Amino acid sequence: APLPTAWLPALQLARRGSKAVTRHWKAMHFQRQKLLAVTEYLPPRPAVPPRCLPAQREHPQEEDGYARLLRRQVEQVFRSSRMVAVCQYNSMPDEDVVTMRYYLRKHNIEVKFVLNEIVRPVLAQSKYRNLLPLFVCRNILLVSPETRAREMLRVLKGIPQVNLLGACIDNTILSRQGVENFSRLPPLEASQGQTVGALALLPSQTSSLLQHGPSLLTALLDEHIRRLRGTAAPGEPPQEQGKG
Amino acid sequence: EKMASKISVVLRPVKSIVVRFCPFEPNVESTRKFLQCIFHKKIQATNRNCEVTADVRHDGSEPLVDVVFADGDRLIMKGANLTTVEMLTALGSRCNAKDLKEEQKSKKKSP
Repeated sequence: APLPTAWLPALQLARRGSKAVTRHWKAMHFQRQKLLAVTEYLPPRPAVPPRCLPAQREHPQEEDGYARLLRRQVEQVFRSSRMVAVCQYNSMPDEDVVTMRYYLRKHNIEVKFVLNEIVRPVLAQSKYRNLLPLFVCRNILLVSPETRAREMLRVLKGIPQVNLLGACIDNTILSRQGVENFSRLPPLEASQGQTVGALALLPSQTSSLLQHGPSLLTALLDEHIRRLRGTAAPGEPPQEQGKG
Repeated sequence: EKMASKISVVLRPVKSIVVRFCPFEPNVESTRKFLQCIFHKKIQATNRNCEVTADVRHDGSEPLVDVVFADGDRLIMKGANLTTVEMLTALGSRCNAKDLKEEQKSKKKSP
């Protein structure tokens, strides 16, 4: 395109009378007044004023997709883990949080931060209704597919800011004392062995119990024979054969 | 909720705090909130030597806050019917009073 040639300005400000910026209220030019009057803002008015219309009921809030996702995650957590411990979380310095997560991860325990408004409806519908009163103020969930309560208690003992409130281990709701007692239980194999031993004790005694009477009789008869042999001549055949 | 974290308590005259509650009871919310606020870094920063213990029971007992001061006084607050703000203001006012007394004592000792 060719270079633009110079042009004369379309608008030329004429100084007439006072300057543009004055110390008194300067009267607007009549044309300006007319322009402003014509282009004044008029807010739209509805044909029927809203107070005459029937009261609008508040539409049900749309369910938040994010809340739904979180709820699904919580349900999944409850379904997949054998041990779920609920602890109260008081503010902790960040590095302590990371250290706690690290030590619990070593025992295969995951730390999950939960929001009460998400967890409460999930619990209310599931079978964990009795855990509902625990979810007030900030809480965290310690979930694990194994039930290593002893190590968990040991880690939590060193952290005063996290307080264990209760747990649900193997579909059994336990209080703090319950968790402590549970941790003091012997391991499953040992208790199974103990049960088997206790059950097998009685049958092992059956054979000796059954033999007790006849063996007593045998012993008495042997003693009797010995006495008779002692008084009678040796060589006499024994009266009774031993019933052994 | 915001009020509770705005109340600042100077824990210098406090030796130990024991918060006892039963989480399965319905009236423990204010006590738990109190415990949460006590562990806030600002309040913990006022006194690192103060031992705060949380005693979690399951015997249906009432929620209790037991504060032992450095000069031997004890403050027992039964949190069943108290709000967090009330408990915090009560503790804060007593701490301030004790602090003032100590300052006056130290001023008297070293004129």
